[in-house]
Amino acid sequence: MRKTIIASLSALMLCACNPDTWNLDVVGMFSGSSAGIDQRIDDSFRYNAERGFPVINASSEEYKVYVCTDTHVDRSRTNWELFINAYHADADCPLAIHLGDLINAQNHWDYMRRPLDSIPVNPLKKDTLLVVAGNHDLYFNQWQEYAQRWKTSTYYAIVKTPAGKRDLYIFIDTGEGFLGKRQTEWLEQTLTWANTQAFRHICVCTHTNLFKRDSSQGHTSNMPLEETYALLHMLKAHHVEMFWCGHDHSREISNLGSLTSIIVDALFDREPHPAYMVATCGDQPIQYRFVELTPLVD
Amino acid sequence: MNKRLTLLILMVAVMLPAMAQVQFGINRYSVRMNAGYNHNTTYGSHAGVDFGAFMPINEHFEMQADLRFTTANNHALGVQLRPKFAVPAGEFFLEGRLLFNLYERDGYNDLTQAIAVGYRMEYVSFQVGMSTRLIMESPYDWHSNSNIIVEPFNICYRLEVFVRPQTSPWNISLCASNMTDYQIERVWQPVFMANGRYNINDHWQVNLGALCKPTGMFHLNAKYYAAEVRAGFVYQF
Repeated sequence: MRKTIIASLSALMLCACNPDTWNLDVVGMFSGSSAGIDQRIDDSFRYNAERGFPVINASSEEYKVYVCTDTHVDRSRTNWELFINAYHADADCPLAIHLGDLINAQNHWDYMRRPLDSIPVNPLKKDTLLVVAGNHDLYFNQWQEYAQRWKTSTYYAIVKTPAGKRDLYIFIDTGEGFLGKRQTEWLEQTLTWANTQAFRHICVCTHTNLFKRDSSQGHTSNMPLEETYALLHMLKAHHVEMFWCGHDHSREISNLGSLTSIIVDALFDREPHPAYMVATCGDQPIQYRFVELTPLVD
Repeated sequence: MNKRLTLLILMVAVMLPAMAQVQFGINRYSVRMNAGYNHNTTYGSHAGVDFGAFMPINEHFEMQADLRFTTANNHALGVQLRPKFAVPAGEFFLEGRLLFNLYERDGYNDLTQAIAVGYRMEYVSFQVGMSTRLIMESPYDWHSNSNIIVEPFNICYRLEVFVRPQTSPWNISLCASNMTDYQIERVWQPVFMANGRYNINDHWQVNLGALCKPTGMFHLNAKYYAAEVRAGFVYQF
């Protein structure tokens, strides 16, 4: 019995530690100290009110969106650099999206930021990287650093084509596995408005997953069932075409009527199957393909 | 940190006085009714009423049926079948469950099947098993095969600790599980419960229970998601 108790407590502590700094936060498993959804919404909405929402101009009617997730950048960032090189070099890509877990733990933001500043963009085009916070960007008080660098995690962006067609990308913060009351209301209002605006495509981007269709998610937190169904209902009722998320590290494509939910592979350097997604947005339904990278681990 | 610890202790302290509902080893037919107040950040406040019947068919087999309605328009119907075998110092049991949840407010329903093995003693009950869920749009479109999602494998678990022996006229239990009578959550979503009961006489028993459902536990940033308190009675034949 004594051994069992010691083993259980050890497992609990290992679950609750920062692998880089060996910080322990067992209490965080029951009452988290990092910024909650209300504070994050306050910070995000304040920035949105000050700066407005991004409008990105595409150079043609059909353009590409590069989507990656779970880079977990620490001192190793090879796959992250390959992704940046790829979307910077693609003349048809005005938008790149990171679906969260940008860094692995505290004090890694500079490692993530450096290649963004140093890798040159194709001089014939402009592109924008938009991100949303994942759970690794929140715990151990990392929201403060996230907010300093990225400012907002609940917002939308519009991509405009030369002919004036518009596509909507909505970013929602589900780092703890739920949206919270205010973000839910904001999403409902935004989608209701979107349905009056004749957008060509509506995509919702976040970190955590709707479904658990295999065992790949392990014990990592996701949405409770009530939240899953409420969000699904909202997405379907407002004709959302794509729901993109990360978190799982394992690709999964689910079709539920007109909605396609895609869990994008992780780009973590220690991932055995790193990949990112390239979505092609034109007048037809969004097409997507995955670009597999050479694993850096055996 | 002190504030968080105080919050944690307060949470447990609030849940402790709740009176227990679960009593095993009693081979008498019974029916129960509970009414409760629920809150979660998705639906807000809502109320619920549930009914149940416990049927010990013989000494090796028992059944339970549960029915719940809520004002959030989220209803549940479940059946539990439980073969059981006396072993030294306790009881070994299997549990098969079929649970239908109608999330009417959102236009979805799910059908969950679970099978678990368990061992229960006077003071501790433990269960582990697996479940499979079918998620369907409601109303179901029989002409399409793309409106159903299958979640084929999910681990379910339950650990309940009692402060008194099962034959005691009153008992209190604390429980951590991803299964309640009306929902089988995914593995990452534990629910913490405190239950209590008091046997008024040979037939009547009163219950009080509380439930707390945080999210983000395994993200080390657990936050409140849902809570429930309920009270009711059991009539044993």
